[in-house]
Amino acid sequence: MTNAEALPLEVRELTKAYRRGTVLHHVSFAVRAGEAVALLGSNGAGKSTLLGCVTGDRLPDRGEIRLCGVDPFSDPAGAAGCIGFVPEQPFLYGELTLREMLEFVAEARGLDAAAARPETERLLTLLGLAGAEATLCRELSQGMGRKTALIAALLHRPRLILLDEALNGLDRPSAERLVAELDARRAAGAAVLLSSHDLDFVAGWCGRGVLLAPGGHWYLLDGEAWERWRRAPSLRPPEY
Amino acid sequence: MPSHLSLLLRLEARRLADPFRHPRLGTWLAVLLPAVLVLVGLWLAGEQARPDLASGDGRILFGFLVSAPVALQAYPLLFRPADDAFLRRLGVPGGASFLLRALRLLALALGVIAVALIPFVATGSPLGLPLAVASVAGLVSWAVALWAHARAADTTVNPNYRPGLLAMTMALDRELVDAAPLVFAPIWPVVAGGMAALLAGISAGTLPLRVAAMIVLVTPLIPLAVRRFARATPRFSPHAGELAYAPPPGAGESELVIGRGWARVLPRRAGVVRARDAVVVDRRFRWAGRAVWPVAIFSVLALVRAGDDPEVRGWVTAACALLLLAQAAAVIALGRLERGRLRWIDRALGLRMMDRLVGRWATAFGLALGVAIPVALAWAANVPAPSAWWWLVGAAAVAALASGASVAAAGR
Repeated sequence: MTNAEALPLEVRELTKAYRRGTVLHHVSFAVRAGEAVALLGSNGAGKSTLLGCVTGDRLPDRGEIRLCGVDPFSDPAGAAGCIGFVPEQPFLYGELTLREMLEFVAEARGLDAAAARPETERLLTLLGLAGAEATLCRELSQGMGRKTALIAALLHRPRLILLDEALNGLDRPSAERLVAELDARRAAGAAVLLSSHDLDFVAGWCGRGVLLAPGGHWYLLDGEAWERWRRAPSLRPPEY
Repeated sequence: MPSHLSLLLRLEARRLADPFRHPRLGTWLAVLLPAVLVLVGLWLAGEQARPDLASGDGRILFGFLVSAPVALQAYPLLFRPADDAFLRRLGVPGGASFLLRALRLLALALGVIAVALIPFVATGSPLGLPLAVASVAGLVSWAVALWAHARAADTTVNPNYRPGLLAMTMALDRELVDAAPLVFAPIWPVVAGGMAALLAGISAGTLPLRVAAMIVLVTPLIPLAVRRFARATPRFSPHAGELAYAPPPGAGESELVIGRGWARVLPRRAGVVRARDAVVVDRRFRWAGRAVWPVAIFSVLALVRAGDDPEVRGWVTAACALLLLAQAAAVIALGRLERGRLRWIDRALGLRMMDRLVGRWATAFGLALGVAIPVALAWAANVPAPSAWWWLVGAAAVAALASGASVAAAGR
């Protein structure tokens, strides 16, 4: 069971290596309620691997992860209730319509159908998908598919929202409305961990960052370090 | 868990109904073509493809034939469905997912049982004994496959797991040694299926009793398997994803070379498609090429030693036909891979449908020639009244059907 008092995310000494080498080396950070944390790094630096370890899609070699106080590898159901995740390449059942897909997600998450419907309608309208409910998921454009995955991730009001390049492919009005929605969720206590290559957006919107560099090196951009990084956002390791 | 299982079953029914709700030529061709080829092949093989169930050897062979597809498909069906990570992130319990996948494997086992009976139906033989033997082999191998694979998954992610002596024989690859329980897991259901088939048909008198006893005996394996998989899944499922990692190809391995070998006779655009398709098939469906040499060598040896025996010729024909079907499945899967994702590349390059069809046919035919040429030569030299050229015609025809289905499956 998740703990309401626990931090949405705690990562301690996380280490992960592939055959090509170490990607994450003793990474430690936490995400507090209400904050937005950026996950930064060049292609292949390990952002998706880190998010994969957090969501239970990758097995860490060492270290601990706590989602709302629970270990995703010993209580996957508890961890699943805590997070809403939009991967870089979201999975959708091509044979289902958009509405069927969201109904399936709501039921799998144990949401009350009557309660979930208004929230689904609101999110569909917010992201400009109203009217497309009868479209098969395999017929959706890339952007519409990503919006569907976003709705599926937000439907159960998770305490931790994990976005892997999730703003890519969204039209500007939809992206702005999504950011406003995320702001509202943060004001209500949800936290966001966001991986993005849009450094200007990240610098303006997030309050802290974790910069991953090749070879498993990582830098926590906090306080003064974050302020310095915001003034000149880049993927180069900071100089202390 | 029951509510999640019922949800997953409803989802499965919805997905299975999709080809009827939204019929597409490519989907139907990709499903029906291999099915029709198998049915027709086994029907025509008739007597030759019908093991002698009166002998113990025949029953064991029949059991192996039924249980092998179940055992070999257990890993991809149980551990590698595309929605695995998605369902875990939704909080669907591992036990519910495993039960649904177990039902998919059961459906496959029932399909194999039905297919195994075709030669008996074709020759008008009594169906009682073959049905009982095939059923018991299929169901026992299914239950044992569930248990063996769940146990292997659990063992693989157990921090205290130490590879045994057999695993150490694969010491060339450390990751393979660590995954040894999974590598050896299919052996259990194959052996169990063969043994069950042997015991089921010992004497006709107590056949129903023995069939029922064996099914009752293996039934407790199912809840055991569910429990073990549910325990293993949080750590095993991400591990299984990582096991699928394919290292980059080595130097000189399946290089993209346009206009090499007999492909020189193809029109240039078709030659480009063939070169690309050959590399993709070799890297994505390597098994389609790797299975060629064992089948070709055993077939040639069998024909050299006993080419005048009709039964041996029947088995050679069946083995080669199965290989050609597997290769056809790889070529069709190549088309499905392109659907909605890579098809635009060919459109952007201005490759016409005919270029794609000819290029893909050349790829499929090239794969098939690996077995068709040696078998045709051995057939011509060792079989009385040889009709070896039929091998080449058959390979070309299967390649044509497979490439047509593949291009249709890729869509416009």
